[in-house]
Amino acid sequence: MEAIDVTDYQYYKNRELSWLQFNERVLEEARDKNNPLFERLKFLGITASNLDEFFMIRVASLKDMVNARYTRKDIAGMTPGEQLREILAVTGNLVNLQYSTYSRSLLPLLRQHGLYVVQEHEDLTREQGAYVDAYFRENVYPVLTPMAVDSSRPFPLIRNKSLNIGALLIKKDLRTDKKADGESGKDKKKEKNKEPELEFATVQVPSGLPRLVRLPDLPDGTRVVILLEEIIERNMEQLFLSYDIVCAHPYRIMRNADLTIEEDEAEDLLKEIQKQLKKRQWGEAIRLEVEEKMDKRLLKLLRKELSIKEDSIFGINGPLDLTFLMKMYGMEGFDALKAPAHKPAQVRELPSDCDIFEQIRKGDILLHHPFQTFEPVVRFVKQAARDPQVLAIKQTLYRVSGNSPIIAALAQAAENGKQVSVLVELKARFDEENNIIWAKMLEKAGCHVIYGLVGLKTHSKITLVVRREEDGIRRYVHLGTGNYNDSTAKLYTDLGLLTCSALIGEDATAVFNMLSGYSEPRSWHTLSLAPLWLRDRFLQLIRREKEHAQKGEEAHIRAKMNSLCDQEIIASLYEASMAGVKVELIVRGICCLKTGIPGVSDNIEVRSIVGNFLEHSRIFYFYNNGAEEVYCASADWMPRNLDRRVEILFPIWQEELKREVMHILDILLEDTVKAHVLTAEGTYEKIDRRGKAFLNSQEYFTMEAKERASQEEPQEKRRVFIPEEPVE
Amino acid sequence: MQITTFAAIDIGSYEVGMKIFELSSGKGIREIDHIRYGIELGRDTYVAGKISNEMLEELCLVLLDFKRIMKEYQVDGYRACATSAIRETRDLLLILDKIRVRTDIEVEVLSNSEQRFLGYKSIAAIGDSFDKIIRRSTAIVDVGGGSVQISLFDKDALVTTQNLKIGMLRIRERLSRVEQQTTNFASVLNEMISDELRSYKKLYLKDRVIENMILTGDYVRHFLDREDYPGAEDLAHKADGITCMNREAFSRLYEQAMSVTASQMAERFQMPAEHARLILPSIVIYQRLIEETGAQTIWLPGLNMSDGMAYDYAEKKKIFKSRHNFENDIVEAAKNIAKRYQSSRSHVAGTENLALTIFDKMKEIHGMGRRERLLLQISVILHDCGKYINMNRTSECSYSIIMATEIIGLSHREREIIANAVRFNTREFASFEEVSFGSGLERADYLLIAKISAILRVANAMDRSHKQKFKNVKVTRKEKELVVQVDTVEDISLEQGLFSDKAEFFETVFSVRPVIRQKKHI
Repeated sequence: MEAIDVTDYQYYKNRELSWLQFNERVLEEARDKNNPLFERLKFLGITASNLDEFFMIRVASLKDMVNARYTRKDIAGMTPGEQLREILAVTGNLVNLQYSTYSRSLLPLLRQHGLYVVQEHEDLTREQGAYVDAYFRENVYPVLTPMAVDSSRPFPLIRNKSLNIGALLIKKDLRTDKKADGESGKDKKKEKNKEPELEFATVQVPSGLPRLVRLPDLPDGTRVVILLEEIIERNMEQLFLSYDIVCAHPYRIMRNADLTIEEDEAEDLLKEIQKQLKKRQWGEAIRLEVEEKMDKRLLKLLRKELSIKEDSIFGINGPLDLTFLMKMYGMEGFDALKAPAHKPAQVRELPSDCDIFEQIRKGDILLHHPFQTFEPVVRFVKQAARDPQVLAIKQTLYRVSGNSPIIAALAQAAENGKQVSVLVELKARFDEENNIIWAKMLEKAGCHVIYGLVGLKTHSKITLVVRREEDGIRRYVHLGTGNYNDSTAKLYTDLGLLTCSALIGEDATAVFNMLSGYSEPRSWHTLSLAPLWLRDRFLQLIRREKEHAQKGEEAHIRAKMNSLCDQEIIASLYEASMAGVKVELIVRGICCLKTGIPGVSDNIEVRSIVGNFLEHSRIFYFYNNGAEEVYCASADWMPRNLDRRVEILFPIWQEELKREVMHILDILLEDTVKAHVLTAEGTYEKIDRRGKAFLNSQEYFTMEAKERASQEEPQEKRRVFIPEEPVE
Repeated sequence: MQITTFAAIDIGSYEVGMKIFELSSGKGIREIDHIRYGIELGRDTYVAGKISNEMLEELCLVLLDFKRIMKEYQVDGYRACATSAIRETRDLLLILDKIRVRTDIEVEVLSNSEQRFLGYKSIAAIGDSFDKIIRRSTAIVDVGGGSVQISLFDKDALVTTQNLKIGMLRIRERLSRVEQQTTNFASVLNEMISDELRSYKKLYLKDRVIENMILTGDYVRHFLDREDYPGAEDLAHKADGITCMNREAFSRLYEQAMSVTASQMAERFQMPAEHARLILPSIVIYQRLIEETGAQTIWLPGLNMSDGMAYDYAEKKKIFKSRHNFENDIVEAAKNIAKRYQSSRSHVAGTENLALTIFDKMKEIHGMGRRERLLLQISVILHDCGKYINMNRTSECSYSIIMATEIIGLSHREREIIANAVRFNTREFASFEEVSFGSGLERADYLLIAKISAILRVANAMDRSHKQKFKNVKVTRKEKELVVQVDTVEDISLEQGLFSDKAEFFETVFSVRPVIRQKKHI
């Protein structure tokens, strides 16, 4: 038999194409009739905003590579050009599916359920027309900035991601009677052609106004809404009074405006791009979305002015920018069409009036969000801020919510004289500005703020509270798989550990010493950190299973993460599979690993869970010949996590909690409702439910958390007499 | 339980470190944080004799941050010590002043012997297992950035300690050019240190058989302690809670380390390349010493000077009692020096007894404490060693010997006090200006020299004949007299004759006149 090269391109899937498959799975949720109607709207909205981000980051990056004539092949052997072509083709189909879902499935259903979305202003009744015109005059007109283009006025800057209406105009007087006075040379030429000159004008749909405008309800109580751009389109003439409107259509561009060089790319590429950047006029357009029926002349003009290629233009049959659906989801009065509001359960070990530190001393506590509330984590910091015994609080912050109670608690702690050290990661994508504001505020309050590390993003989620107790310093640590963000903690599934283990405490101290610029510790007790040790640790753990399998012993790996695209890890998983290790992976998003390759990945199974909550926890299980090991981490198996970020892998030691995490993996693997399995053909299929129980893992965990919260915490028996209640 | 939090700052030649400790009578010493910052102060010092302003500023920033961390732990006390990297700079005082002004941290510059004593204290602090190890002949090897200290133990006590200027950073700097030109760096290194080690062996090791070798410093221990490189578990094991390995295992490790370059070593052993470049010379030094001494077991307690500082602090603050008698080590080391210079053992013992008895009886008058008593004791032990060189100029020669011989545990200042006290044993006492000229001695030191010298003179005079005629000495103090009653049938005219001379100086110093009374035997 020929030796198998596990690094061969053929064994890997391109990450962008795999990501598009993920977005298809999200879209599938929008198409799933079992989901409540408004949830389906939300999913559709998510696919749209996902796609926007994908273009801005990934496609832009690929375009840069193509422009820089960078031809290095990816993990699957595709050049940037090949990837781009394939992506644009797949995206075309995806977009078509988005809009057919919107127009053919969702709109009719909304109408049935009492929400009428007027698709085009031409469909308005006379009364409705009068209503929107009045709305236009009062609310919209004052904030519009129409811009025309002619020889003296250059093509205006169209802002990234903004929705615009482009129009072709003809001057009224030119059409009727031609006066020769003051004609320019250009006009003379036109006169010869006898063709009236079309002028281009554009107006941005104001992002400050609500995109959805509510009209008076129909007599039967049906709610009526129309999109803002339709109202503007209808009143276009008001903006260009001395012109006739030949045509007017919405369009939207996506620019490579932000300097979003993807950290996953090679360094030499970075240099190439920097060269390119100097040459480039800012903001090359990388995607143009237009109404499908857009006037050909208008489209041609846009194409020329934006210098965008045919394959990057998406003709759309429906409203542009479906992210408004997320706003629609928030409309009042349709609760019956939404999933019941999720209320995270209380954590039994941490009742609201307890002393958190005392509870942690009794034993480690595992938190499973959003099924269990994130509130104890906030309370952990809050209590530390007030506790006179607390000396110091240290925390890494990656993404925090607006108005974050954690930030407030940290500031409070500093004001109370605690030593507070906070590492605020300024490089968190899209949150840069937000984070700078918080960082400044914390500094003002007297915190010691570290603004990230050069060349590394600090992605780890760790909080350390140093407390002086009777018998000396004790350290309390929270480690998590998700951000310290109380808003997303209601939507993302994550795991957190509260512990006062001395070994974890010492390591946590070392982590913060390192983050403050001091030398690494001589050795670690429990934690593994990226970028220095984590990759090797994972490889070693996988290799250990392989060695067990080679000796004929049982070997088993279970791992859950958001994305899997690290070549070295995948290769080692293939090798493990070849040695007979059973590998079960739960990968929500990108997965560059291929399953079912004979002799390579026969023993590997990949499933993806896309549900109401965003699967976000990273869990790793190794059978280890019976001495099972369970870990959680802030890192995915992606090169950027392992090589260019500060990440932490932490063990779950306490037997009870270990069982608990293993139980979570069990349930996730038994999910028959929201799970998709990656087939040998490379497609994702829903689980064949025949003969299997109906199990939605997220619902299961919700129920379980609720049941658990209602159980009394086992109390030590009190040795006091309890007087009887008086009898009536 | 009363807990004291203490911070030990160690300004070394390649690293500035701070350890935070909790000290308590119940739990002893508990390290709760260790912060390290790599800065090669020694690189400038060993080559140019000074520290650049940029580096000094960097050091100050680190120290300022250390202050913040000390505040965080609400430490009760701290001690900041600097060693050769600062000690060997030409503008030492300016540097210390800059640090003080900039950071408000008082940095203490340790003499080599003080530094080594702290390093030694850290090991002794591990307690019972240490005592067990040194019951067999043991060498403690402390490889620092600037120099290597080798201390030998025999039957529980320190025999000798020597300092060789072949520290890892110093060697690396000296060989930095060679490193790029040779493929066999290890053999060049070997050649370079062999000469020093050979002399050392000839003079101090002689035929001594060393069984144990304790390696201090935490670099090496952690290097050997790592579990994440192949074969590590075969090399080291634990005995009595201390990491140790046998001679063969160390040789294997040496072979492994020699077969790779520093960068390969860094990768293989997962350490920063800078560490690897420092560790390489020290491994060569260790290996050579193991070969020269024949040590069988290598102990790696993984402690450094900071641990010794914590121990010292706890001792001084009476948080706990010392498990090991460090004063005894100093006394033993002094006795060994006296032995080397063939001082009369019986004369020394007799004089020592007399001097200490006088000291104790005079407590209320001289106001000196336990440490000064020790200095007196060492002065007595060493007062005669100059005879080995020149019979006529004993006191001058004793002075020179003491000034040139390190006594672990004594500071440079203390050694100078002893040397002067010995010098004025027979010479006429000089003025403060004369004594302090060219030295760092202060007025208080001068007074101390006078007091020790006064007692030494009297005690010495009583055994002028070196025959130990004075047995059963009883010392009593009556008003302005110190009565030394001796019980002897021998003729003590010689002693009595010379005594009045010495008594005068004693009286000048203490305003008490010593008199000798012979108990009459009927």
